[in-house]
Formats: sequence, C-alpha cells, structure tokens
Amino acid sequence: MENNIFVLGVVFLPFAGLIIALFVQNDIISRWIGLAASASGFVFSVVVLMQNMSIGPQIYRMGGYEPPFGIVLAADMLSATFGVMASAIMMAAFLYTLHCRDKAVRQRSFISLFLAMQMGLLGGFYTGDLFTMFVFIELLVLSSVALTAISDNLLGLEAAMKYLFMSAMGSLFLLIGISSLYASFGSLNMADIAQQLGTNERPLLAITSSIGLLCAFLLKSAVFPFHFWQPDFHTTAPTPVSAVLSSVVVKLGVYGVIRLETLLFVAERDIIGSWLLILGMIGIFFGGLAALSTYNGKRMLAYSTFAQVGFILLGVGWGTPLALAAAIIYAFNHAFIKSSLLMLFGVVASRTKAKTAALADVGGVGRTLPAFVGLLYLLGGMALAGLPPMNGFVSKVALVRSGIDAQSWFYVGAAVVGGSITLMYMFRTWQLVFQQQTDEDTTKLKDPGVHDSPLAPALLISTALALGIFAGPLFTVANRTVEQISDPQIYIDAVNPANAPEVTDAGPELTLDTAEGEE
Amino acid sequence: MDVLFALAVGLFFGIGVFQLLRRDLIKAAMGFSILFAGVNLLILAVGAYDSQIPAYASLAEDVQVSDPLVQALILTAIVIGFGSYALLLAMINVISRRFGTINSDEVKNLTK
Repeated sequence: MENNIFVLGVVFLPFAGLIIALFVQNDIISRWIGLAASASGFVFSVVVLMQNMSIGPQIYRMGGYEPPFGIVLAADMLSATFGVMASAIMMAAFLYTLHCRDKAVRQRSFISLFLAMQMGLLGGFYTGDLFTMFVFIELLVLSSVALTAISDNLLGLEAAMKYLFMSAMGSLFLLIGISSLYASFGSLNMADIAQQLGTNERPLLAITSSIGLLCAFLLKSAVFPFHFWQPDFHTTAPTPVSAVLSSVVVKLGVYGVIRLETLLFVAERDIIGSWLLILGMIGIFFGGLAALSTYNGKRMLAYSTFAQVGFILLGVGWGTPLALAAAIIYAFNHAFIKSSLLMLFGVVASRTKAKTAALADVGGVGRTLPAFVGLLYLLGGMALAGLPPMNGFVSKVALVRSGIDAQSWFYVGAAVVGGSITLMYMFRTWQLVFQQQTDEDTTKLKDPGVHDSPLAPALLISTALALGIFAGPLFTVANRTVEQISDPQIYIDAVNPANAPEVTDAGPELTLDTAEGEE
Repeated sequence: MDVLFALAVGLFFGIGVFQLLRRDLIKAAMGFSILFAGVNLLILAVGAYDSQIPAYASLAEDVQVSDPLVQALILTAIVIGFGSYALLLAMINVISRRFGTINSDEVKNLTK
C-alpha cells in the first residue's frame, strides 16, 4: 500500500508547530501557532477517517523499510476515530488558551509542551509498533507532567510528582510487556505479533506480557487499582490541559485495551473482559460517589471521569460487536462533554481572585457571568447524566442496549443505577454555581467582565448537541470500526501486505439500529 | 548467563522499588533511575537470539551474531529514562525551594 502523507501529518504537524513555537518570543503569536498546528492536525485526521471509510486502513512507513521491519504508522478505523476525537479536543483546548488568564499559559514553553502532548497522544493512537507506542506515551506523560508542574495552582507540583512516579511504574510494565513479546516472537510490529499469536502457539512469556500491557493501559486510564494519581493531577493542571487530560488522555488507555482485546490477545478476551467488567463497575460506583462528596468542582469532574471510563470498560468487557461499538460511541461522546465541562468550570474559576474551583467559594459566581454560560453548563450536565437530546443519551442507550443484548443483567442494572448518581452531582453544582444568590462580599471576585472566554466550551457543547440530534454518522463510523476490528486479519494485511494470505470473510453483519439513537 | 541476568534484574527491581517508596524524594528519584536501569537490562536479556559475537562485526556468512535491535531499543529507553530523571530532579529542586523540605510527607502537609 502507498504511503499516506496525511497519516504522517496528523502526528507531525503538531511537531512542526512545536519547533516553530520554541523560537517565537511573543506569547500571543505562539498561541495562534498552537491553534493553527492543532487545527491543521485535526483537518488531516478527518481526511484520514474519510479515506478509511472509503478505501481502508491507511499507513505510513517511516524511512521506507519493508514490513515487518522499521516503524510504521497505521491508521485503521479505530485509530482514525480516536484520532479525530483527540485532535478535535486539542483544537478546542488551544482555542481556550487564546483567551486564558492563567499565568501558566503565558510561560514561553507552554504552547510547545502542549503541542508535544498532542503529538504524543496522536502518535500513541496511530502507531503500529509497540515500542514506538511506548515512546509516544512517554512524550505524552513528560509533557503533561511539565504542564501541570507549572500550573497556577501550587499543588500542581506535588500532583505532577506523584503522576511521574506512578506513570514511570506504568511505563516499566509496558516495557516488560513489550520485551516479553519481543522475546517470544522477535518482532515489535503489532500486526506481525498478532499474526504469530493467531497461530495459537503461545509461549508462557506472551501470556505474561498481556498482563504487563493491560496494567500499563489501565494505569493510563486511571482504572480502579491504579487511579490514585488521577483526581489530584486532573484538578491542579491548568484549565486547557486538564480538559484534555480528563477527556482524551484517559482514552489512550481505553484504545490500548481495545487493541489488546481485538488484535493481539483475541483468544484471551473472555478473561480480560471479565476483569474489565469488575474494574469498570468499581469505577462507576467509586467515581460517582466520590464525585458526589467532593469539595472542589474540577475534582468532582475528575472523579466523574473515573466513573465514565468505568462505563466504557463495561462495553469493552462485554466484547460483543454491539458492545464494542457502544464503547467507541461512549468514548467519543464523553470526550466532548467532559472537556467542555472542565473548561466551563475553568471559566467560573477565572472569575474568582484565587482562581479556585472549590465549591465553598464559587457559590453564585456563575450569576456574574453571561447567562448562556449557565445554560451551557446545564446542557453539559444533561449530556453527562445521559438525558436527551444530548449525545450522552445516545451513548448510554447504545451501552445499555448492548448490555441487554449480552444478557448481562447485573452489570446493566449497575450501569443504570450508577448513571443516576451523575444526575445528582451535576445538577447540585449547577444550582450552586449558577442559581444560588451571589455572595454580598464581592472582594473575592475580579472586576466584572474579567474571565476566560467561554467560546471553546460553547463550540464543544454545540458539537455535543449536534452529535445527540444527528447520531447517525457516528453510529455508522462505530459500526464500520467494529466490523473492521472484529477481523484482525484486515489490520494485519494492511500493515504487512507481504504475507497476506487468502481473502477472509468480513465480520458478522451488525444489527445496531441507528434510528434507535436518534431522539 | 541467563541466570546472572535474571539475578541482576531482580536485584535492580528490588532495590529500585525499595528506594522508590522512601520518604526522601532524592532517594525516590534514585530508585526511579535504578528501576529504569533494571528494565533496560531486562530488554538486553530478552534479545531474540544471543551470541558472543557483536552485531555487524562478523564477515563470515552463517555465524550467529548478537541481536542489534535490543541494543537500539535500550538506547532509546535510556534517553527517555534520562529525560524523565532530569525532569524529576528539576521538580524536586523547585519543591525544595518552595516548601523548604524534600520529605514527601511534609510536602503533602504544606498545602498553602
């Protein structure tokens, strides 16, 4: 297959922007460079998704080495869908930085580090090589640690330290998993490993490596036993960074788990799936209850991410085509909702002098903002809780429907009960921030009109609304994705055409009714 | 040779984890770098084929040479580990100036 320059562009346009931003003195210009680089990356990722829909998986071989040697960027439907999601959110976050009043954003290195984060994220989604994935994940981790360490919130430093130690352990697990796979098969190319694993000759080391990789990906997603760093880290990061961290960076782990389950360890998917169901359910309840009882708005949303990743893991754990499609839809929709909510809380916090999102200090602060900000928060809360007509409703319906289809009544019941907790904490904070009478003592607040621009969250919420009303295209994309990933041979053939065997049948016909999701 | 590698990797991991859990942040950072050294040694040990002859050095046709790829991987991993270590030490430097201590328990309590 021909090298596709668009696949390279998605990963390396942010890199080009990074290099340029390093040499720019003026911080306003460098923010525009950041926006331009991330926006062009977004356009390229959309092109890659379109090409995937019409032609098939797109690849780019670095240096032109023949497979399975050399590094390959391979974007199939799964990578392309997650890539569109990630670059859209990154673009919105750069839009937010244009009118952000945080001191951290004015640091000279901020835009470069943020673009490094985008490169690591997109590279992690697009790479077809396990070791390169480790490199991109480390790039993502180091840049997000540095961004949180320079946060306006002084506690950011401590949280960043904690995350660096935790993620170092995750990277070690990833490296152990990768080296075990290399010892077993003498290859780092995912397609090549998948092909050799598919022959049912499984060395003991290969099974061990699945545990190492699973632990590493779950740590990136902040799933139950590996979650301790997450609330602090997502709360203290600068607002645009925390919006990205809590919405798309956790999805990198989800993506890795889906890859493990559908490409590499297909035979073990039942064992992996049963673990994911248990961990997901713990996440739903722990995250929901912790969000209900916390004292800080951003921290509440961080805990809520914990619960929402739990819902996605339920879908991945059921593992039926319907459930995988639901998990992908859920992941896609949640990214838009959570990033916009975190940005809205950042707008609210920017009204206070201390830039705090502590619930004790932001009561009624929302009333000093333009009225539509409250409406946006309400819509975001409805989306997170899964009420129509927002996209959260669509994803919840798809998930519950796939659970009923999988006859997994216990987990479906847990998901419905756990989802209702979301309703409580979102509406409680909406009332507190946007309905309650403003405090008479206005010395804590800045002068009227001084706040971050709510433009980026407004765009994200309108995207969420559009995805809720016109859910059809997303369902089509998700169905095509699942059709593709349920047959690992498609990915293997696309990456390593040299050893392509006879044509295989496409996956089973999917019966997900798109009309069901359109409300 | 394999036994020696296994013992060394185990020792590195043991010392590294012990140091990482210390309260002193400098010692924890050292544990961090020891752990990375341990995992680098592990990658070296899992080379897909091993031999005493260095890669690309032998001109003879059918001689088994040692695996060059793992050496390239370790080079990358060393650079990444070094970068993380540098960032970690820089953060410890800022912590020690901002909070006046590098004991992680005391840093936690100084929430100003």
